[in-house]
Amino acid sequence: MHSPEGVAGLCLIVLLAAMAFAAPLLYPGDPLAIVGRALTAPFTDPALPLGTDRLGRDVAAGLMHGARTSLLVGLATALVALAAGTLVGTVAGLAGGLMDEALMRVVDAFQIVPGFLLALAFVSVTGASLPVIILAIGLSAWTGPARLVRAEVLSIRERDYVAAARVIGMHPAEVALREVLPNALPPVLALTAVIVATAVLVEAALSFLGLGDPNVVTWGSMIAEGRNVLRTAPHLSMVPGLGLVATVLGVYLLGEGLADAMAGRKARG
Amino acid sequence: MTGFLISRRNLFLGTGALMTAALPMARAWAEDAPRGGRLVVAADSEPRSLNPAIVASNGVFFIASKVVEPLAEAMLDGEGGLAPRLATSWEGSEDGLSITFKLREGVTWHDGEPLTSADVAFSAMEVWKPLQNLGRVVFANLDTVETPDAHTAIFRFSAPTPIQLIRNALPVVTSVLPKHLYEGTDIAANPANKAPVGTGPFKFAEHRPGEYYRLTRNDAYWGEGLPKLDEIIFRVLPDRAAAGSALEAGEIQLAAFSQVPLVDLERIAKVPGLKVVTEGYEALTYQLVVEINHRNEILADRKVRQALSHAIDRDFVVDTVFLGYAQAATGPVPQNAPQFYNPDVKPYSFDIEGANRLLDEAGYPRGEDGKRFSLRLLPAPFFSETRQFGDYLRQALGKVGIDVTLVNNDTPAHLKAVYTDHDFDIAVGSPVFRGDPAISTTILVQSGIPDGVPFSNQGGYANAELDTIIDQATETIDTEARTALYNDFQRIVVEDLPLINVAEWGFTTVASDTVLNVGNNPRWAVSNWADTALSR
Repeated sequence: MHSPEGVAGLCLIVLLAAMAFAAPLLYPGDPLAIVGRALTAPFTDPALPLGTDRLGRDVAAGLMHGARTSLLVGLATALVALAAGTLVGTVAGLAGGLMDEALMRVVDAFQIVPGFLLALAFVSVTGASLPVIILAIGLSAWTGPARLVRAEVLSIRERDYVAAARVIGMHPAEVALREVLPNALPPVLALTAVIVATAVLVEAALSFLGLGDPNVVTWGSMIAEGRNVLRTAPHLSMVPGLGLVATVLGVYLLGEGLADAMAGRKARG
Repeated sequence: MTGFLISRRNLFLGTGALMTAALPMARAWAEDAPRGGRLVVAADSEPRSLNPAIVASNGVFFIASKVVEPLAEAMLDGEGGLAPRLATSWEGSEDGLSITFKLREGVTWHDGEPLTSADVAFSAMEVWKPLQNLGRVVFANLDTVETPDAHTAIFRFSAPTPIQLIRNALPVVTSVLPKHLYEGTDIAANPANKAPVGTGPFKFAEHRPGEYYRLTRNDAYWGEGLPKLDEIIFRVLPDRAAAGSALEAGEIQLAAFSQVPLVDLERIAKVPGLKVVTEGYEALTYQLVVEINHRNEILADRKVRQALSHAIDRDFVVDTVFLGYAQAATGPVPQNAPQFYNPDVKPYSFDIEGANRLLDEAGYPRGEDGKRFSLRLLPAPFFSETRQFGDYLRQALGKVGIDVTLVNNDTPAHLKAVYTDHDFDIAVGSPVFRGDPAISTTILVQSGIPDGVPFSNQGGYANAELDTIIDQATETIDTEARTALYNDFQRIVVEDLPLINVAEWGFTTVASDTVLNVGNNPRWAVSNWADTALSR
């Protein structure tokens, strides 16, 4: 964990996490509240450092609270995707045969539909709220971990120590949880960075299209609002846009750093 | 006659005296408006049908009104607010049971056939009355249309029908279709619905989906020296932000219906060669309303509804959401409809304390967390303004202790949720006032309307007194008595608040300076554009 990318990524993520945690302290109350004159330019009013939007809502408050939503969606989606993917992958890999075939065809079915369309369809049918959006994005994100875990499990289950565990009479579930899974997980964790970054972007895109949860601030909805006034008040789109760039870049760099560190440890070990 | 109107509009800034003096000169100027040229206009949607006789909506009229003409068009200084088109005169009988139209002679359809009273009779009996969204209401009591000669049509009604209503409805509901193309076919599926044949100043030439509609000059048009333009192209630009850039780049010369977002108007007005025109929408007033589901027992309490109305700062909505391009509403009839507007209705002031008091009185005190009760709000997705007002309303009601959850839907889902499933507490809507309350306004509060009729009373509101007034007014022939009934109607609606009127707005047109005669009648954007011209 000494690569410059990793450190830069870590700094960005820590900064964003700090923003997310500080948001309710610095800007208590509803970040969607109307607090000033509409379309105040940034850096003109000390009370509203980043100005206000079309209705007079504080852009800085939106940025901070938006970080909460984005990080929450990113992490929650990763959790959902990893949990579902690992479960399906492990079962498929260990069970083999018909079970394996059936589960992998289900994975294929989800993979051939573009993830964003899947999320779009799911949200427009069920209605937008944060848990639904997380589920919708997770719906397409779990297939990557599932395939990876299955591949790892297939190779690990033939190892001698797994065979030994079986021979001494361990329950298949115990074999899976104590012997196979811990060794199959590290490469999957490297995938987390990609899932988080994708989830943040998909959530922003959904909100941009008006399919986000309208009762919470998200960067995507802020950009969508700002788009109408792009020519007169470009900062309304740029501020949340920069937030998105920082998040995705931070997560990606951190992921790279972690992967490097793990590869290094493996090489040394 | 059209010349008169043009001059009036263009000399708008002159004083009355100056205008009168300038009239002959101005008329000469208008007739001199150059002929020829191609006008490229932004179109923000591609209506599935271009038949205004079936779908009388602004989206269809915007393109089809240049091809298919009504019996009369709205006009600022015309007699009864009308300018003759396919009819030259109309007269109601004393008993209100018949109206006689004299039709213009020498008018031919775009395929060369002559226009006769049989076309009008066919349109009325086979299309307007049974098929048209608004004609169903206006012509509900129409029995037969007699055609004693080729240029006379006598409409006979089974119950007294006010001539005032028919007059006000003429521009919107009476687009005449060619009988020889529609008779004996499935009218709703006729190919002429997509490639209309009419009598208007422009012929329909082609539609390339996703690209453009092309209309060409009708050389056999009945109006002398009209139309001025050779061709009109409606370029499909669904992205509202794109219209402004296209205007600046000179790719299009005109964008109507506020296609250029209000926030960009100030900037674009300063661009040399472009002008912002706010006239031409006087008879197309949109109303911003809060629709209420009276099935919710909290909202069934009048005091709660009044509190809601007091909690809304209408000036803020006008200034911030509409950037001043709107007017605060006082009731269900907009102020720019002087025929019907009742100036005595008492508007609701912005009064947070009053709202809080009313809610306390109604028995909904604030809870521990400062909240009284929760409501689901469905803002209509039709305009960015309706959505923005939804955002504002959530904040405004939060201030008086009402916890509001926004539910965003796309258009089909919104229509279904509000008008069919009644799955809402409050909704933001944008009905249109079309010159007479009986056309599309009373339906917003009348009871007994079947589920699924969009833009009607689907909130379960029923008020016998109001229903009686509405029924009476549809059969009152005497104009004064009818207006008095509608004054009562406004008073009761404002008092009892079946819905809350917040603001009323028209649209803006942005056009190149070379486009002449823009916005010179109260329905300009959806009129026939025969006198619209391009200077060189």
